[in-house]
Amino acid sequence: MADETRKKEILDKLRNGVIQYDEDACREGAQEAVAEGLDANEAIFDGLVSGMEEVGRLFEAQEYFVPEILMCADALYAGLEILKPHCRQMDLGVKGSVVIGTVEGDVHDIGKNLVKMMFDVAGFTVYDLGRDVPLDKFVEEQLKTDSELVCLSAMMTTSMVGMPKVIEKIKEKNPNCMIMIGGAPTSKELADKWGADGYAEDASNALKEAIKMVAFLKKLRDEKAQKK
Amino acid sequence: MNSRERVLKLFKKEAIDRVPCFSGMGNITETGINKLGYRFAGIHLDAKQMADTAATTYKLFGYECGVVPVDLCVEAEAMGCVINVYPHAEGILYPTIKEKLIHGEDEMNISLPSDLASRGRVPLLKEAIRLLKADIGSEVAIGSYVLGPFTLAGQIMELNDLLKLSFKKADKVAKLLDVMADALIIVAKEYENAGADYITVREMGATSDVLSPRVFKNLILPPLQKVIKSISGHSVLHICGKTNDIVTSMMEAGPTAISVEQKNDVAESRKKLGGDALIFGNFDPYNVLVSGNEELVRSTIRKCIDDGVSAVWPGCDIWPTVPPQNMIAMMDEINTYGGKK
Repeated sequence: MADETRKKEILDKLRNGVIQYDEDACREGAQEAVAEGLDANEAIFDGLVSGMEEVGRLFEAQEYFVPEILMCADALYAGLEILKPHCRQMDLGVKGSVVIGTVEGDVHDIGKNLVKMMFDVAGFTVYDLGRDVPLDKFVEEQLKTDSELVCLSAMMTTSMVGMPKVIEKIKEKNPNCMIMIGGAPTSKELADKWGADGYAEDASNALKEAIKMVAFLKKLRDEKAQKK
Repeated sequence: MNSRERVLKLFKKEAIDRVPCFSGMGNITETGINKLGYRFAGIHLDAKQMADTAATTYKLFGYECGVVPVDLCVEAEAMGCVINVYPHAEGILYPTIKEKLIHGEDEMNISLPSDLASRGRVPLLKEAIRLLKADIGSEVAIGSYVLGPFTLAGQIMELNDLLKLSFKKADKVAKLLDVMADALIIVAKEYENAGADYITVREMGATSDVLSPRVFKNLILPPLQKVIKSISGHSVLHICGKTNDIVTSMMEAGPTAISVEQKNDVAESRKKLGGDALIFGNFDPYNVLVSGNEELVRSTIRKCIDDGVSAVWPGCDIWPTVPPQNMIAMMDEINTYGGKK
């Protein structure tokens, strides 16, 4: 195990690599982490995800915009690809799988992909249905995979209106399944009205919501580790 | 003063009796479609059905315009993309792009098809505009719309790639946007020749929720200016999302009017742009007009007017399932409150 100074150096490299959308730095940092025996989960959460949290803040402050976020996401994935095979299984007491997609009539998937990224990071099994997904496909896939979370995305008002149908069908068959909706036209009011458990109106919000969920999982993990 | 006179006078900044209520974007209603016995999926491919449907919003509710097209894929299709109109969908699904024209950075060097004006549904749209004008053109102004260069580019290639390249290889994107602008100029010209009184340019993808004001100014504005300059009649520039930081740039693009949505603080924009500027907006066409009740519709219309819009106009397409009573309430409120200011 690397000493504390070295560990901080590697985590900083991962974190800054994400913030400065430097794929090479993230790759390098990840390789160093693996080579020097740094815990892969720690490298992901305290390096890559910590960087993404800062990116979310920069977006909020209107220093970063969507192009930057997309490049940061590429950098995060570059590191994640190397670290993931070295992750120990996270035992959180939940199975952790999610069905995600953009609803039929909509071909915009940037927000969806950002949320997906955070679930990838958190070690979820992600069933990504892609975009322009027929509504029944969400219901089928949820039943088939018994996922505890379904995320529906739409960027256009013109495609959002299919959402309540999916929510109703899923909740009817599986009341415990959590549903998150996202996209520019969605709102808390609509989420409440349609019976969704969460919503995110834009990329930054999606990122924040997903980070919140992931942070929650991390807290669970830490609490568990403390008990041991 | 009928609706046509009112709207055209507004564009010319002449005195009118009250604030008009119209749109430059899609505004067909399910009520209208059903009355005609049409199906939503069918009207995109039939000039007569499209024109008939577009006329119903005026005929049924007194909405002060007639606008075609209904979807956002006309230009991309003419450029060579394949679209999906969801022909078998029971509900309302707007056409989307099924197949892009550009699949990667190395394919960005495209040129304009020489016969663009006769490709895809451009001829169908011209016919629809002619029919709509013949039907209700003496009573209301006839509008049509094209996309903005950046929004069109985002349909023709992966938006994800386009956004990243806007940052990494701005010159390459600028070149593509210039080709997009040339395409849009041709299409807008066809629409004008067919009888459109005003053209709305919808640069929806370039909102400041997505791109920085700096990128907007350097990359988005020049081709947008080029398109708007080529429109000989009245033009409206619409951008979605948070636009308060770019309303001045929007005006610099040179349109007759700008159109903003509910995330714009219009009172603030009015202060910035002065009393003379034409600002259209800015009610939420879904959360107010479709899912709100009549009282919310009325209070929202009043707020738009109090904030200083030049015309009450929706932030996006009107969603077809709008309850008829909300359309009636909107027009009634315009008639009573719209003249008081």
